[in-house]
Amino acid sequence: MPMYQNGEVDSAVKALEARQDEIMRKLYELKAAVEGLAKTVTTPDADLDLTVSSSLSSQSSCFKGTTDLDMQLGKDIGALRDIVINANPTQPPLTLLVLHSLLCQRYRVLSTVHVHSSVSGVPPQLLSCLGPRHADSYARHMFQLGFTLIWKDVPKLQMKFSVQNMCPIEGEASVARFLFKLLAPYPSDPAVATLVDSWVDTAFFQLAEGSAKERAAVLRALNSALGRTPWLSGSEFTLADVACYCCVLRSGSASAAPANVQRWIKSCENLGHFSPAKLLLQ
Amino acid sequence: MSLNLTINSSSPPLGALLTAEHVKSSVPVSVEEGKDTRLLVSDSIQFNDSNSICRYLARVAPALGLYGASVMEQTEVDHWLEFSARRLSERPGAMAALAALDKALSLRTFLVGHGLTLADLTVWAALKGHGLWPDPDRSLPHLDRWFSFLSSQVPFTAVGSKYLSKRAPPSRSSMDE
Repeated sequence: MPMYQNGEVDSAVKALEARQDEIMRKLYELKAAVEGLAKTVTTPDADLDLTVSSSLSSQSSCFKGTTDLDMQLGKDIGALRDIVINANPTQPPLTLLVLHSLLCQRYRVLSTVHVHSSVSGVPPQLLSCLGPRHADSYARHMFQLGFTLIWKDVPKLQMKFSVQNMCPIEGEASVARFLFKLLAPYPSDPAVATLVDSWVDTAFFQLAEGSAKERAAVLRALNSALGRTPWLSGSEFTLADVACYCCVLRSGSASAAPANVQRWIKSCENLGHFSPAKLLLQ
Repeated sequence: MSLNLTINSSSPPLGALLTAEHVKSSVPVSVEEGKDTRLLVSDSIQFNDSNSICRYLARVAPALGLYGASVMEQTEVDHWLEFSARRLSERPGAMAALAALDKALSLRTFLVGHGLTLADLTVWAALKGHGLWPDPDRSLPHLDRWFSFLSSQVPFTAVGSKYLSKRAPPSRSSMDE
């Protein structure tokens, strides 16, 4: 069949050629997008490829996080700030799970749960305690903060963060103080700030680990403090309330608590921050 | 502002006393002996445990930087405050804690950052108060260097001689191994 008639190109062939060009263009675009994605997967913190950012921007526009993490943690050096927590599955860190969900409301947090080879048979609710896997989790650079929880056979909860400058931090109380500072500044009054820390110590050392007698004494102290102010350290909800609430819940003494404590438990629950902790205790 | 710290003289809160020595040029703190350890801050707020007293004193004298310079340093200080109150005070396990301490000090002059913090004060006080160090039977070179470096300085020698000389040295047989 002759393709050319009188030097003129058949209009059907012309249309076919145009279609082929269009398909080739789309293929190149796709190839560039896949290469961009591959680059961000293999080098997690590489700059975002332009072709990828244009196709993903529509999904990520729901995030409008603040970036005062630079102020709290020093200048961002490019890599994702990953908070790695080793916790024993026999003692789930309720306080940290509550603070994690508060961090997620505030920042773009890449949350992952792992099981270390030292433990087996971790219950499913512990594996899903940080919520469903994020749809963009392959692109680490899109997040402000990493939260990696590893269920491990450790005698004491441990946090590793910025290991070049910081020693590993032991104990749920110290880690809770750290996470809370990323959410809200401590009270500026030295006495109130220290009161918060003092309640946090009481929660972890006397409520969570103490004897029945110690627990009863703490409940009395809570009751008298809550008779004077709505929250434990005054008129503001602070880490003191988060820690004491979680430890009262964990020690199972909520139902036997005196009146002011009961009222305060209801106030805490009304805030709606504590569902991650309640879920694990069911 | 003047603060009044009451201490139980039969078990003096060494960490709190050391911190009081350090802050006394910026915040006057008077110390008197009594039945229980207590720092009265206001009508409704008082602190009864050594770590809370240390935290409060460090916060009212922020220029000294005893609580660290950043959120990360503060977190390290919190870690060592708990370490001194818990791991160095629990009889079984105190020896493992010493080894951990030695390891942490291997690349550091001070426990946190580049200057003295509550971490150094409270850990030193716990070692001294429980008679855990110096220990002639163990060789922990980094702990030894750090401990003698601090022990030779004025606030440490003052507190050590003032509050520990009256007490009998702890008997070694009661120690765990």
